[in-house]
Amino acid sequence: MVEKNKVEEQHLSILQKRWLKFKTLKRGYYALVIITTLYGISFLLPILINNRALIVSYENELYFPIIKGYVSGQTFGQDVPGEAKYRELRKSFKEDNTGNWVLMPPYPYSPFEDITTDGNKMYESPSGKHWLGTDNTGRDVFARLCYAFNISISFALILTIINYFLGIFIGGSMGYFGGKFDLFFQRLIEIWASLPMLFVIIIISSIVKPSFFLLIGIYTLVNWIGMTYLIRAEFYREKAKDYVAAALSMGQSDVKVMFKHILPNSLVPIITYFPFSVVAGISALVGLDYLGFGLAPPTPSWGQMLDVGLQNVSKWWMVFSPVAAQFLTLLSIVFIGEGVREAFDPKVYSRLR
Amino acid sequence: MSQKPLVEVKNLTVSFPVSGGIMGRKVAEVKAVDGISFSIGRSEIVGLVGESGCGKTTVGRAMINILKYIAPDVEVGGEILYHFDGEDVDFNKLHPRRMRKYRSRVQMIFQDPYASLNPRMTVAQIVEEPIKIHLNLSDEERRNRALELLEKVGLRKDQSGRFPHEFSGGQRQRVGIARALATNPDLIICDEPVSALDVSIQAQVINLMMDIQKEFDVSFLFIAHDLSVVEHISDKIAVMYLGNLMEFGDASQVYHHPKHPYSKALLSAVPIPNPKEKNRNRIVLKGDVPTPMNKPSGCSFRTRCPIAEDSCSEEVPKFELYAPNHWLACPIVKDN
Repeated sequence: MVEKNKVEEQHLSILQKRWLKFKTLKRGYYALVIITTLYGISFLLPILINNRALIVSYENELYFPIIKGYVSGQTFGQDVPGEAKYRELRKSFKEDNTGNWVLMPPYPYSPFEDITTDGNKMYESPSGKHWLGTDNTGRDVFARLCYAFNISISFALILTIINYFLGIFIGGSMGYFGGKFDLFFQRLIEIWASLPMLFVIIIISSIVKPSFFLLIGIYTLVNWIGMTYLIRAEFYREKAKDYVAAALSMGQSDVKVMFKHILPNSLVPIITYFPFSVVAGISALVGLDYLGFGLAPPTPSWGQMLDVGLQNVSKWWMVFSPVAAQFLTLLSIVFIGEGVREAFDPKVYSRLR
Repeated sequence: MSQKPLVEVKNLTVSFPVSGGIMGRKVAEVKAVDGISFSIGRSEIVGLVGESGCGKTTVGRAMINILKYIAPDVEVGGEILYHFDGEDVDFNKLHPRRMRKYRSRVQMIFQDPYASLNPRMTVAQIVEEPIKIHLNLSDEERRNRALELLEKVGLRKDQSGRFPHEFSGGQRQRVGIARALATNPDLIICDEPVSALDVSIQAQVINLMMDIQKEFDVSFLFIAHDLSVVEHISDKIAVMYLGNLMEFGDASQVYHHPKHPYSKALLSAVPIPNPKEKNRNRIVLKGDVPTPMNKPSGCSFRTRCPIAEDSCSEEVPKFELYAPNHWLACPIVKDN
């Protein structure tokens, strides 16, 4: 059994080898580990950073507002209109000492609660209570920052993946079939690419209030073109190689030749370009949000925070936080990209090791 | 022996249009293959020789009908008539969808063993692929057949999980041979299968191919520019120059008693490992090969031919029977 494993180990596919090489490039590898971990954790934000209690034990009955959502204050004997105020509830339960208790998330502020909710003040500077202070409407900056991280990365990832699908499908067909089909689509893409896309986005988002997915849709309209060029060129080159001729001469179907033979061999630019494409996606969202054509206002976003921050430059935490968050995120992703690029470089020795 | 040959190529032409101008009009064409006819019998090895760029490879690719995939604008004329058991099929007129069925009957071995194997697949997967397409076997049977074939071409069973980049050029070419054999084809087109290999490996691979030809009873079209290799392996030899066949006949006839002036020149250039013969008369041709975009009128070889006459520029010489099993495209040799 041990011997068998040994034999298996010798036959690594090229991708497996590259992954092993990538792991030796510490900077990129750790950046990947950190970013994926943080992104994974960021899906748990509703139970980590929120103003809704996780569990409330009231008169020997357990409530789970985090799952149930809206629970009125009267339920817990709290004299407030609308939803229960869990931070106050915890305080009053403690004072009463009647065996009732509230389990709050570790950071008990939501990115949406502003001065209208209990005790929030505008422009509060960083403290143990609000780690990065509050903004111009009294919302907690740290909470918004974390939620915006999740939204930014999700936006960029989904955008990139959709672009890749379109790019691989359209660019791949263009490169593979060539001839008139290629000629026609190239012209079509050139016409499409010559539209002033920023204006198109601004016009569309001033007509309809863009939601998360609508914004991805709009941005995809602009962004898919770049990928088609890359994939088309790659398919064009690979198609001329003999292993494709061999697959065709044994009667393999076009779809199989494209996706089983050519695509795995065209992965180098696709994978090495991926992190940089994500960086571009994040920057694009920040840019649009900053200009006010991005996600609709209450949504936490770095661009909007930057915009508000720049209007209040004297409140340093409001500028510093989104800039630093963005800088660190983009830097780590660029590190990943750099490591991936290096791992795909056939040269053995690397300056990144 | 009035049995039909396996494949008859009749007046095959292949031309690649050269487009230019704003609208991409066709401004010229490259006639890579300009009307050639020959035939390959069952379990016969036909060698196709000629210098670089004369259209040998194009003939091979036309015969398995994959030119249209590589160059969508290509124009292929003439007939490529296969006589499979009881079925006559013209590959050039077949609809691509119906073509698929016959793909298993004709396979190809490529020149470059580094480019002709998909670097992302293990050799077992590579050999299994044609079996998967054409033969209806269970996974287990398919696997066994692939391993059997790999053993037949001289690879060990435990090497089947390796990727092509873990093999030497000779071993890769063996994988290519195993892949070509996988569907039990009637004809294998070998496109310079050994020219990318070391001389020491060439002999091994050539001998392997000859063994396999006997064992599987398959026909070969052996494309090469190395005449001594072709003479060693072939039953018949076809000599090609600038898209035309110059001479076609039994290997010993063509090799030892060439009639066409081009064949003579080509064969006199073959090095003979015998110092006594070092003073033998070599025919050195004048000038360069003309471009196939602008071929000479009449006989395409006349610009370099030592025995050319004025009449050679007037019409394209017919490819005619000169002696039994010996065809020739030179009226001057024929008349003498």
